[in-house]
Amino acid sequence: MPIVSVDELSRTYRVADRQPGLRGSVQHLLRRRHRDVVAVQGVSFAVEPGEIVGFLGPNGAGKTTTLKMLTGLIHPSSGSVQVAGWVPARRQPRFLEQITLVMGNKQQLIWDLPPLDSFRVNAAVYGIDDSEAKRRIHELADMLELGDELTRPVRKLSLGQRMKAELLAALLHRPAVLFLDEPTLGLDVNAQARVRDFLADYNRRYGATVLLTSHYMGDITALCPRVLLIHQGRLFYDGSLEELTTSLAPQREVRLELRHLANAEEFQGYGELESLQGHQVRLLIPREQLTQQVGELLSRFDVLDLEVSDPPVEELIGRLFRQGSVA
Amino acid sequence: MPMPRNRYWRSLGRFWATSLAAELEYQANMAIELLAVVGNLAGSLFVLALLYGRSSRLGGWSWDEALVVLGVYTLLDGLTSAVLQPNLSKIVSHVQNGTLDFVLLKPIDSQFWISTRSFSPWGLPGLVAGAGLILWAANQAGASWQASHVALTALLLASSAVILYSLWFLLAALSIWFVKVWNATEVLRYVLVAGRYPVSAYPVGLRTLFTLVLPVAFLTTVPAEAILGRVSASWALASLGVAAAALGLSRWFWQYALRYYTSASS
Amino acid sequence: MRRALRIARVLLATQYAYMLEYRAEIALWALSGVLPLIMLGVWQGAGGAVAAGLSPQQLSHYFIAAFVVRQFTVVWLIHVFEEDALQGKLSPYLLQPLQPLWRYLAAHIAEQATRIPFVALMLAVLALLQPTDLALPSAGALLLGLLAIGAAFALRFLLQTVVTMLCFWSERAAALDRLLLIPYLFLSGLVAPLDTFPAPMKSFALATPFPYMLSFPAQLLAGMPVNAAAGFGALAAWIALLAPIAWLLWRAGVRRYGAMGA
Repeated sequence: MPIVSVDELSRTYRVADRQPGLRGSVQHLLRRRHRDVVAVQGVSFAVEPGEIVGFLGPNGAGKTTTLKMLTGLIHPSSGSVQVAGWVPARRQPRFLEQITLVMGNKQQLIWDLPPLDSFRVNAAVYGIDDSEAKRRIHELADMLELGDELTRPVRKLSLGQRMKAELLAALLHRPAVLFLDEPTLGLDVNAQARVRDFLADYNRRYGATVLLTSHYMGDITALCPRVLLIHQGRLFYDGSLEELTTSLAPQREVRLELRHLANAEEFQGYGELESLQGHQVRLLIPREQLTQQVGELLSRFDVLDLEVSDPPVEELIGRLFRQGSVA
Repeated sequence: MPMPRNRYWRSLGRFWATSLAAELEYQANMAIELLAVVGNLAGSLFVLALLYGRSSRLGGWSWDEALVVLGVYTLLDGLTSAVLQPNLSKIVSHVQNGTLDFVLLKPIDSQFWISTRSFSPWGLPGLVAGAGLILWAANQAGASWQASHVALTALLLASSAVILYSLWFLLAALSIWFVKVWNATEVLRYVLVAGRYPVSAYPVGLRTLFTLVLPVAFLTTVPAEAILGRVSASWALASLGVAAAALGLSRWFWQYALRYYTSASS
Repeated sequence: MRRALRIARVLLATQYAYMLEYRAEIALWALSGVLPLIMLGVWQGAGGAVAAGLSPQQLSHYFIAAFVVRQFTVVWLIHVFEEDALQGKLSPYLLQPLQPLWRYLAAHIAEQATRIPFVALMLAVLALLQPTDLALPSAGALLLGLLAIGAAFALRFLLQTVVTMLCFWSERAAALDRLLLIPYLFLSGLVAPLDTFPAPMKSFALATPFPYMLSFPAQLLAGMPVNAAAGFGALAAWIALLAPIAWLLWRAGVRRYGAMGA
C-alpha cells in the first residue's frame, strides 16, 4: 500500500498580465488581462512507506507546487492526492499530525527565545505530554548533535544550528511523512552533510517516508535512491538516479598514462578511442564492460596511471532539461 | 473527530508564556506604553472637557456618565494592544513571508492559532486604567453594585470584546488578498475613536451608521449603559445577537479566505 | 539641474505605478482619515462649540478642511524605512548616487497622487449628503491653503525623518513615533479646533509644531480668519530647525549602519 499516491495531478494559476511602467499600470487598471499558467500537469506517482524520494527540476518547474499540494497547502486544479490515507486539501488534524513540512527559506522557531520554548509550544499544539516530549527532544537532539544551542535565543544561532533546531521542531510529533523543501538552502558544506546524515539516520530509525526537493545534487545523490524529474510542470522521469545516469551517459571515460608509446590499432576492441597523444590515452568504454576491459588494459600495457571518470550528474541533468526529454 | 479540549487550553498557556518571555526582552516598551496610556487618557479627558464647554450634558449624558464610556473605550483599547494588535497584525507578515503555511499545517484550528498566538503585556496599563476609570466614574454617577447588574455588565462587556475582535479579524484577514493591509486595521483604530463618546452625542445619520454598519454603539455605549444600570433588554439582546453574528461571520470569512489562499498561492 | 529633473520624473512615475498596484490599500488608508469627520459629528451637538462661538457652518468647514489636510500630510516613512533597514534593502540604495530619502519622498508624493480620486469621491459623497457643509474656498484661500499643505507635509516628513533616523540606534524608533502621534492628535486641531482651547492651552499648543501641521492649513482652506504670515513663518522656522538635525542624524546613522556591516 503506497503511503503517498498521486494521480493525474494538475494545477493552473491565473496571473494578471501587465505591461511595465505607468502606461501598463493604467491599462491594467482599465482592462485586466489574465492568462492561465500551468504549474503542474498530469503528474502521477506513488511512494511506498520508508522511501526517500527526491524532486529534481529547474526553478519554476513545479516542485514546490507539487510539494504544497501533497501537504494540502494548495488545492489541485484536477487529479487526486492521498497521503497516509487522507486527502491533504482537507487538512484534518489527524492528517496534519502525520506529516511535517520543513522549508529551508522559512522558519517557525520563535526568534527571541531559545528553541526549547518553541518545542514546548509544538508539544502542546500536537498534544504530546511533557515527559514524552522531553524524551523525544533528548533523542532528536542527540541525533542532531544539538546541545546547549537549545537554551540560546534562536537569533544567536548560526544558520546551520538554526536549521537543525527547525528540524527538531518539525519532527517532535514523529510524523510518518516528511516533506522537505530545500532543507539545506544556504548551509555550508559541513552543515549540509550533517543534515543529510541526520535525515538518512531518521529514515532508518523510524521508517519515515521522506520527500525532498533540493538544488544541491549532493543532497539527492547522498539521500535519494529514487528521483522524480519535473520539468515545466510535467513528470518525465521516475526511477533510480543510477539508472538515469547510466541511460544518460552509457559510457565512462578512462584515461591512461603509459610507460611506452603505443599505436592506435592496439586499442581496437577497447571501447572508443577518443585521443592518443604521446603517452596519454583517452578511451570511452561502455559501463557494463568497464571492469573487464580495464583489467585487460592493465595486464596488456605497462600503465603508470589510470583514471576513470563520470560526467558530473549536474551536467547530465542540465543537458536533459535542455533537451526536454529522456533520450 | 473531537479534539481534546485541553489541547487548546494547554496551547494557550504555552502561547502566552512564550510571548511574555519574548516581550520581556524589550522592557523599554513598558515606559513607552505607560506614557502612551497616560497621554491618550489625558488628551481624551481634555477633548471631552472642551466638548462639554460650559454645558452639563453631551447627547443627554452627564460628565460622569460620559467618563464611563471613555473608561470602556480605554479598556477595549488595552485589549487591542494586549491581544488583537500583536496577533492580527501578524497575518500580513505570515502571508508575506509564507509562514502562514506552518500555521495551516498545525493540527489546531488556524483561526485560534492566528488570534491567540501572542500576548503583549504592554496592553495591561490600558486595561488597568480603563477598569479604574470605569469603577471611579460609575461610582461618581451613582451606579449600583448588585450581582445581577454586575453579571449583565460582564456579559455585555464580553460581547463588546467579541464584536471588536471579529471586526479586527475580518479586516486583518483581508491581507490574504491585499498584502499591505495593516492600513485596514488602522482604519478600524481611527473609526473606533468614535467610541470615546456616547453614541447619542452624534447626529442621527452617524448614530445609525455606528449602530447598524459599524457597531461602535455596541462596543462602548451599550456596556456603559449596563454599568450605569439603565440598559434596555432590547439593546442587551441586540448586543448579544451582533456579537454572535460577528463571530460567526469572522469564522466563515476565514474559511473563505483560506479557500482563496489555498487555491491562489504559489 | 536637468539631471535632477529627470531623476524626479522617473522616480515619481515609477512610484506612481507602484502605488497604483496598491490602490485598494490606499483607498482603505484614505478611509482611515475620517477622524475629523467623526469629530465634526460630535462637535455639532456639543455645548463646547457654542461656548467657543463657533457656528455649525464654521465647524463643518473647518473639519472638512482638516480632513483634506490630513489626507495629504500623512507620513509613513518610518514603517518602510525600518523594514528596508532591517532587510538590508537600504544597502543598495546607499551605493547609488542619490540620497535615499528622495526615493522615500517621491513614494509619499506618488501615494498622495493615488489618493486624490478617493478623497474626491469621499468629498462628493459628503456634498451629496450635506450640501451645506461644503464651501468652495476662494482662489486666494485655495492657493494659500495648498501651499500650507505642502509646507505642513514637509514639516511632518522632516519630523518623522528625525525619529526614523533613530532606527539606526534603537529598535524602538517606531514606538517613539507612536508616542509623538499623541500630541499630534490632540494639539494639531485634528479632534478639536484650537479656538475651543482655553487661552493658556492654546498658546502652549501654538508653541509646538503640531498646529502648523494641520490647524493652520485647515483654517486657511476653510477661509477662517488667521494670520497667514505668522503661520508660514512658524512653518519655515520649524523646517529650518529640523532640516539640519535630520541631515546630521542621517550622516551619523549611515556611518553606524556601515560600521555594523548590515
